[in-house]
Amino acid sequence: MATSITPRGQQHVDRLERIWAERPGLVGWVTTTDHKRIGIMYFFTALAFFGAGGVEALLIRTQLIGPNHHLLSPAAYDQVFTMHGITMIFLFVIPMTTGAFGNYLIPLMIGARDMAFPRMNALSYWIFLASGIFMYVALLSGHAPNAGWFDYVPLASKQYDPGTNIDFYGYGLIFNGIASTAASINFIVTIFKMRAPGLSLNRMPLFCFAFLAVSFALLFALPSLSVAALFLELDRQLGFHFYDPAQGGDPLLWQNLFWIFGHPEVYIIILPAFGIATSIIPTFVHRKMVFFPLVALAEILVAFLGFGVWLHHMFTVGFATLTTVYFAAASLIIVIPSAIQLFAWIATILTGKPEFKTPLLFIVGFIIYFMIGGLSGITLAAIPFDQQVHDSYYIVAHFHFVIFGAAVFPILGGMYFWFPKLTGRMYHEGVGKLSFWLTFLGTLVTFFPMHILGLLGMPRRNYTYPPDLGWSFLNALETIGSYVLAVGLVMIVANLLISYFRGAEAGNDPFGGDTLEWSTTSPPPPYNYAVIPTVTSAYPMWDKEDREADSRRLDRGEGLLERGHETPATTVQDAEWDEILSMPSHSVWPAVSALMLAGIFSMLLLHHYWIAFGFLVVGALVLFRWHVKGVTA
Amino acid sequence: MTGTSAGGPTRSVTAETAPQAAAVARQRLAQPNGWWGMALFLCAEVTLFGTLLATYFYLDFGAHRWPPAGIKPPSVLLPLLATAGLISTTVPMLLAVRASRAGSRGRTAWLIGFALIIQCGYLAGQVLLFRHDLRQFSPQRTAYGSIYFTMLAAHHAHVLLGVLLDIGVLWHVAARKLSNYWLIAVRCVALYWHVVNVIAVLVVLTQLSPSL
Repeated sequence: MATSITPRGQQHVDRLERIWAERPGLVGWVTTTDHKRIGIMYFFTALAFFGAGGVEALLIRTQLIGPNHHLLSPAAYDQVFTMHGITMIFLFVIPMTTGAFGNYLIPLMIGARDMAFPRMNALSYWIFLASGIFMYVALLSGHAPNAGWFDYVPLASKQYDPGTNIDFYGYGLIFNGIASTAASINFIVTIFKMRAPGLSLNRMPLFCFAFLAVSFALLFALPSLSVAALFLELDRQLGFHFYDPAQGGDPLLWQNLFWIFGHPEVYIIILPAFGIATSIIPTFVHRKMVFFPLVALAEILVAFLGFGVWLHHMFTVGFATLTTVYFAAASLIIVIPSAIQLFAWIATILTGKPEFKTPLLFIVGFIIYFMIGGLSGITLAAIPFDQQVHDSYYIVAHFHFVIFGAAVFPILGGMYFWFPKLTGRMYHEGVGKLSFWLTFLGTLVTFFPMHILGLLGMPRRNYTYPPDLGWSFLNALETIGSYVLAVGLVMIVANLLISYFRGAEAGNDPFGGDTLEWSTTSPPPPYNYAVIPTVTSAYPMWDKEDREADSRRLDRGEGLLERGHETPATTVQDAEWDEILSMPSHSVWPAVSALMLAGIFSMLLLHHYWIAFGFLVVGALVLFRWHVKGVTA
Repeated sequence: MTGTSAGGPTRSVTAETAPQAAAVARQRLAQPNGWWGMALFLCAEVTLFGTLLATYFYLDFGAHRWPPAGIKPPSVLLPLLATAGLISTTVPMLLAVRASRAGSRGRTAWLIGFALIIQCGYLAGQVLLFRHDLRQFSPQRTAYGSIYFTMLAAHHAHVLLGVLLDIGVLWHVAARKLSNYWLIAVRCVALYWHVVNVIAVLVVLTQLSPSL
């Protein structure tokens, strides 16, 4: 470890520092292939979009604070709630979890020096950034998507929505999907092939299992969304008839395709939260996870079952009873893997010695909200009840408990948890706890009354409501809650920002964490580990002998791999050391390729098809150049 | 021995010549990263075609007449013959992989080139058939036309991409070298074609389903 490096060990470290040195300044960031720097860029970009989505949420809540308010016009309100949904799902949660947390942590946790495809990793980031800007250009120019995040036809068809609003949605999501597909391939290969020797699948941290499940779910779910959006644009731009019942099409085709993607998407959003929870809990309760193999299987099972339940979003469509009952039953089965994990977390906390520091508090909040959201989810699997509350605020309450309370709380806890690793500084514990309580209460006050409002009949997406329906008090309460929540979230960011400059030194392992990332310095060097780590269990940091062996190997100069950007590749199951890879380093081509893609989609949007084709050709040349350069370099 | 540090695992990137690359490939225990990347990319592409085919039958089952009145059911012979031709390229692609693993640069290039000629012929034939169909009926008149042409265009685009991949690999292997990197590339391109060939069968059976 860093504290006990001998002069001979230091020579090796210096050599690695020279080999892995990144370019300085802004150029360094644009051309970087370091998974940690890419993770940090993902983090700040996703955080900016979280801010934008949060402002949209506050606009919505401010509008609804009392009856007959007209802060936003009905048309603007449509755009704002649609962009709120798109932003939070596609531009915040997925890039924050897979992009930021996954990118930064997975190679560290598995003892690798980089992702399997470092330049494709950079490409994913730049495409994500470009697609986010693409969709926000829509909002800033007043043409944002306005048919809700699930964008049902015929409302979203050319006939009823003739502007470019929906085209931003269609092209934007195809664009964004390319980034997520590339990222998920990268994660799967990294997790399968880049684990440190000895880190066999049964020793892999549960965090990585969760991200493996997410990556597979993304890989198989996204094509359905892309095809649906492609059909939509073909209908809108070229006059095709996929969704047009007059010429043999079917609007329900959109709903089916969308939810075949959309339901797995819910688990894509929440599974990383499960992974973060299973990282934070053992550290702060000082014991290993209960039911480790069951939790790993449950994480994968949730992702798998998520593909078989999409019709429960469509119970009011009028399918045959047998069909709806099948999907209701399938939806109820998901309770089983979810409950396995829930009980495993609770049992681990109860049987350990919990230290309720800020990260663990967020996980406890997550468990409570996941239970509330999960239980209301079970009520929605009851078909008659679902038909009653469909498109009401009850639904809004349910999914915000799941995808805010349950999915975002671990992200917030994780931000505190890994902040010392990223920066080498400690956050402020007192302010951290206060920010938790504000966020926790804010969430409860904002979203819980929505259940009641939904049962009282308040529909979602209405831009205002009349005064005599008995909805006013609860709406005002929710709005107050949302501002409390916003204060809590700003406090988190402020705490971390100030701690970055003024926090106490954190050292390598301030919490006694169990996974490998805590063994390297804070922040980690570009090569992550001077010596490729030895791993003999799922809790490598608690195996003191292995860590001491690593520092002895550094002195002896063993396991260093210092002939270039080298890292081991291992076998998929047992992590036997198979070969030594030489990873590509910095390159400008990923960013340029993303720019070409942005050109293609912008020109498609503006109907300049030949210019779009020109961008495609130039993009292909860029890929060719990138490729040839990458091989000879 | 190329690229091995004393007693340690292979430094596969140092395998520059065809025999060295073949030796590294034989020594490797697991599939290389590039192969995994291609396999997973193809999972996404297969899912994409699954969605297109499912849409075809979804619209088919919802229709009173399929194809709709005024559109003749597709003729069977030419698309089936073309597909048979395409599938036959599986053999040279398999042999090309085997040749590359045996360290034979010339044979690898020759086999890929042979497959490429048939694949180009297939693509040219399919483009002609596509244009012929476009003269018969339009994607802008009926949902049948919409899914018919979208499905075929998606498939032909994948064939075109495969042809470009072939050309890239062929140029490199024939004119330059068959290093470790390009040996993996040969395997990836072969895998791509195997999957595209399977997709071709599924697409043509779907396309011809009203006539079968």
